[in-house]
Amino acid sequence: MSRRIPAYAPAYGYALYARSRALPLTVATLLGTALLAAVCAHHLNAYLDPYQRVPFVALAPMLAASAIGTSLHQHSPELDRTAVRPAWPRRLAHLLALTALAAVTLALAVPGHVETFGALAMVRNLLGAVGIAAASAAAIGARLSWLPTVTYLSAVYLASGAASGRAATVWAWAMQPGPEPAAWAPAAGVFVTGAVLHAVHGARAENQRA
Amino acid sequence: MISTDTTSAVRVGGLTVRHRRTVALDGVDLDFRPGVHGLLGPNGAGKTSLIRVLATVARADGGRVELLGHDLSGHRELAAARRRLGYLPQDFGYYPGFTVREFVAYVAWLKEMPGARAGAAVERAVARVGLADRIDAKVKTLSGGMVRRVGIAQAIVNDPAVLLLDEPTAGLDPEQRVEFRSLLRELGSQATVIVSTHLVEDVAAACTEVTLIESGRVAYRGTPASLAELGAQADGAGIGGNSIERGYTIALRAHRAGTASTAGVRR
Repeated sequence: MSRRIPAYAPAYGYALYARSRALPLTVATLLGTALLAAVCAHHLNAYLDPYQRVPFVALAPMLAASAIGTSLHQHSPELDRTAVRPAWPRRLAHLLALTALAAVTLALAVPGHVETFGALAMVRNLLGAVGIAAASAAAIGARLSWLPTVTYLSAVYLASGAASGRAATVWAWAMQPGPEPAAWAPAAGVFVTGAVLHAVHGARAENQRA
Repeated sequence: MISTDTTSAVRVGGLTVRHRRTVALDGVDLDFRPGVHGLLGPNGAGKTSLIRVLATVARADGGRVELLGHDLSGHRELAAARRRLGYLPQDFGYYPGFTVREFVAYVAWLKEMPGARAGAAVERAVARVGLADRIDAKVKTLSGGMVRRVGIAQAIVNDPAVLLLDEPTAGLDPEQRVEFRSLLRELGSQATVIVSTHLVEDVAAACTEVTLIESGRVAYRGTPASLAELGAQADGAGIGGNSIERGYTIALRAHRAGTASTAGVRR
């Protein structure tokens, strides 16, 4: 008879898991990013002109997502695959917990102006950026997952000034005002896709045999 | 066909593994009882593919795998088998900040060992590979041979009933190899140990059975003694090396000749 799997894994391993994924450093990076965003918001007097927030509402989520994507790296994927417990809940919890922490801290960094470039836009951009990073980790490995995120969001930031129309609202979702539904849809879609890809497949093994 | 022998801890039937267009294992039938089994074969023969499927980290493209009576079809069966499985991959990687104790404890956690037992099990496993005095050293500060021994420690931390070791002696110096073979014999008295190796000395000194794999097929099965006997028959045939190495060469060539003649008939 096979034994039932207990509802919870033994507690002693969670701290080891957190360290193996460099979670303390990742959390510190997320808090630092939020602090930087808050300082920028204050020094740019962005509370008077919300459009001055556009650079860091677009770029702070990019930094946070890069840190989250890199934390998905497994040093020993071959041994992790022999775990008794299915890996997907752990992977999903890891991604969601870090995303939630980044969402809360970044939202708090840009108070007010919810209708333009405030907390809503910041959270939407974070979700989209994390989605790209998680999907990239599954496709090319976690260590390089920051690259597609940075490339896409930087390109959107540079190109969106000249773009207009319905299509631009979709592909340049990171540059739209917070409540814009046509910008939320692609960001949420990318996040769900990235989270599912990562939960199911995990980060692609790097320097490992197929 | 899977054998009906119920004492086998590991049984595979018609096992096929493909890597893109290459066939790594071609309908392999094997069974392994408790003891130390040496897997020999040239590079790319399919040894690592077999070990990875048995370790449940790679999927077979065809055939059936049964571990410790579990056919691995459902998650519960897979979990039950993994609990009693130990695995040392060729490249196992390690978390740079971990000490030996932490790394082995991490694997014990992956195996769902209860906390009350895990601490003592970690210390015992590390002591068995001769690293008790380095248990609180960071893994990244150890030599290559010591890191390999840490890999062996993590593989045996849960006292596995099936232990899969892929090139375990790579990087060990001669003294460490001798000690490791002694550990293998000790482990093989209770568990089914499958060792993939290039070194026939490992097979001669520690294995109770030998399986020779070539081009994804089983080329020879026997004991180190029977392989040596095969080699002894070739004395004077111009094949160098000791009797087991000669036996290995003869078995491999006979298999290749057989495969070629079968292919010729098919044409």
